[in-house]
Amino acid sequence: MKKMTSALALIAATAAAPVLAEDITITVWAGGSNDSDHYRIDNIRIAADMLSREAAIRGEELNITVEGKRDFDGWDGFKQAVTLGAEAGNAPNIVVTSHLDIAPWASAGYIVPVEDYVDLDAWPLNNIYGNLMEIATFDGMQWGVPQDAESRPFFYWKETFAALGYSEADMDAMSARVEAGEYTLRDMLADAKKAVDMGLVEKGYGFYPRVSNGPDYAQFYQSFGGELTDTETGKLLFDRTAMTEMYQFFVDAVDAGVTRRNHIGTEWDQWYSEVANGKAAFWHGGTWHYGRYTGKEGNEDFFGTVGFTLIPAGNDAGRANTVTHPLVYLLTDQKDDRVEEIAAQLVAIASEPRLNALHAIKSSHLAIGKAEAGLDLYSGDRWAAEATEVLLPHANAQPNHPSYGAFSEAMFKGLEAAWTGVQTPEEAVAEVEAQLTATLGDELIVR
Amino acid sequence: MTRQTLLGLGFLSPALLAVMMFFLLPVVLTVVFAFTNMSTSTGILGGEYQISESDLRRLPAVGVGEDAVALLAGAGYAVQPETLALFAAEFGEDRAAELDKLHGGAKFDDQRAMERALKELRRNPLRKVRDRKTAADLFRVSILGQRFATRDDFALAITDLGVPERDRLALTEAAYTGWTFTTQNFELLWELPATWRYALNSVIYVVLTLGFNVGFGLFLALSTFYLPSRTAQTFRAIWFLPRILPPVLYVLMWQWLTWDQGFISAMLRPFGIEPINWMRHTATHAWTFIVLINGCVGASLGMILFSSSLRAIPETQLFAAQVDGANRWQQVRHVLLPQMRWPILFITSYQTLSLLTSFEYILLATDGGPGRQTEVWALAAYHTALSNYGGNLEYGLGAAYALALVIIGILLSALYLRFFKFSELVAKPRIEQ
Repeated sequence: MKKMTSALALIAATAAAPVLAEDITITVWAGGSNDSDHYRIDNIRIAADMLSREAAIRGEELNITVEGKRDFDGWDGFKQAVTLGAEAGNAPNIVVTSHLDIAPWASAGYIVPVEDYVDLDAWPLNNIYGNLMEIATFDGMQWGVPQDAESRPFFYWKETFAALGYSEADMDAMSARVEAGEYTLRDMLADAKKAVDMGLVEKGYGFYPRVSNGPDYAQFYQSFGGELTDTETGKLLFDRTAMTEMYQFFVDAVDAGVTRRNHIGTEWDQWYSEVANGKAAFWHGGTWHYGRYTGKEGNEDFFGTVGFTLIPAGNDAGRANTVTHPLVYLLTDQKDDRVEEIAAQLVAIASEPRLNALHAIKSSHLAIGKAEAGLDLYSGDRWAAEATEVLLPHANAQPNHPSYGAFSEAMFKGLEAAWTGVQTPEEAVAEVEAQLTATLGDELIVR
Repeated sequence: MTRQTLLGLGFLSPALLAVMMFFLLPVVLTVVFAFTNMSTSTGILGGEYQISESDLRRLPAVGVGEDAVALLAGAGYAVQPETLALFAAEFGEDRAAELDKLHGGAKFDDQRAMERALKELRRNPLRKVRDRKTAADLFRVSILGQRFATRDDFALAITDLGVPERDRLALTEAAYTGWTFTTQNFELLWELPATWRYALNSVIYVVLTLGFNVGFGLFLALSTFYLPSRTAQTFRAIWFLPRILPPVLYVLMWQWLTWDQGFISAMLRPFGIEPINWMRHTATHAWTFIVLINGCVGASLGMILFSSSLRAIPETQLFAAQVDGANRWQQVRHVLLPQMRWPILFITSYQTLSLLTSFEYILLATDGGPGRQTEVWALAAYHTALSNYGGNLEYGLGAAYALALVIIGILLSALYLRFFKFSELVAKPRIEQ
């Protein structure tokens, strides 16, 4: 009887309600995005078109308007805009941001888990690499979907490298040697010093690191055996020895004259133009640098001039590694649950291999899933294919921990103090340790 | 109240309103924020109640009993008679019976596993994702990761779960996701060695820049005072440029001047001086340029004020001095400067206060580098509260930094007023008494 009534009710409902047009506006804000990243928003537009068509086939009229914005005043401005918008109750529906924002934003209730709206076991989400999906989880829930992947390779200028006495065959074997830990950061430092002494590069240009804080420096901590979290408890981990040795490495680089003492804070534009044109012997960057080097900086023979490997190990305790820092699609908490649902479906459709490949190749990022890597557009791109093969399998991410930002900031400030000679590495490490113990308390394990 | 008083208040009200909105309110909010642990994670407008996986290991430390923690930690989803009944009511007895047969008594850790179990229904499958989500939710037995909007909702949930009475209060407090009042920000500021360095940096910054501002402003005003007025105006206009340039552009020009391949390096190269980044090479370099960058902006204000007050001094006094045989320096020292006390007081106190809280030029020029050596107090407040690569902004701690500045600012103003005998300036002229 009960079944009958519900069936009747269903019929009545479908018969009585004429096809009502549903108009939904979805806003997408993408942080840290420049011109070549427009598919972060455009893919949501394409997805909206798909979803409307699917609805039309079901006999529903669903009109989705997608409004995108990506011109923010840097990351700080973007994050402030999102958080203050969320507080005021008018956050954008979809945000593209660093996976590190998941922890604080989830705690604050600004975002809702994507797993509440989409089937993670269904296409296309089930095709995304497991380790990338993992990066968008926090506290046992799937909060977001990786929007792109990247990793941060170590680069060398081939001409300089050859002048140091390495043959073509040596260069081909480099990534394997680095991976096996046979070529370490210390070997690199020796080579960089040689390059400076031989006059192949100017003083201070032997090793030319990133000029500001970023995930890159976590890599060097890992190179010297540091781990960012304790796997058992999920707490942040401060490895005194690894940190000291990492600081010491940069101090040694400065003392040897291969890195400038005042290197941090160099203008990015200057930095890009120098590394893309062979002014530095060794440096490190991100997979998306390929686009910049070959585009704006005018390096026409990238593969003939630049070699790349994982970030080499620093000592026996450490390992060759690379950090991937994917941006993720997140859904913000809205009054209307239906809007969240539509937004989630759009994110799922935008993660289709073909759509994501458009973004990956256009902006020199890496594939997020197996099927995407097999697409002709992707596999036909030499950089994407090689970087995926050499780097991605070894990539790990920084932890989604609400206090990781403070950790990373303190680690870099300490490094800067040692690097510029304000403190010795030991003093700097002691101060960072004191600060982190005071601010993080129980959330930090010091080893 | 007389009509005049009302009228007076009426005229004052816009100003009073502005003072309330743009001074009192921010100060009051800063004081309040400084005594909270507010951050991105806690949100600003208050929180909700939630126990998540990572909270579990923190619970024993805040006084929640082991058995309560065990209750919370249990599997999230269970196919048991009670949940099956809910499922049957919504999705039909058939489906409930089939699920009972397939997974009766089973427990699942997360929603995904529960949905997988629901997908196994064959006779009358739940075809839509949305239905499976709704159905899975009916089997949820744990409150882990669930958000409750109010304290009462949460209390009800943990009572239902069977959490013992004695643990409920501690648990509810631990579950609150919003900010709470605390004094830990000040304890932290006191403990951290970096704080003292930032304070010292601020002192260096304010003293040096202030000295430059006032000294150079006075020098410009006095030197243009004796020039023909048209030439003087041209000079003053030139010196006024730094103030009207947009800061970003202005600092960018300094950057071009000082970087490795910039103007200074290029000029000095023929003399065999190695190119360096003149602004960031050492702390001394950085301070020199920070003082110059800020000083040139500040000096122009001093120059304008000093010039106009110099012109208010009756020329006859200068003629008299000249007749007495005083040279230019003696005129300046004995005639002009003694009458400049009030403008100097004004510029000194105004600039001290604005320098204490200003950091934008430092942010643009060195961002506190090299190695935090030019990180002043106000910049530290900014970095703590508004800029963090990892995403968790510490509003509370940042406000504590700012509060210290407010207090120092008020103390300094009082000190200045006393020192320069401000009461004499505002005293009623004797002639009217």
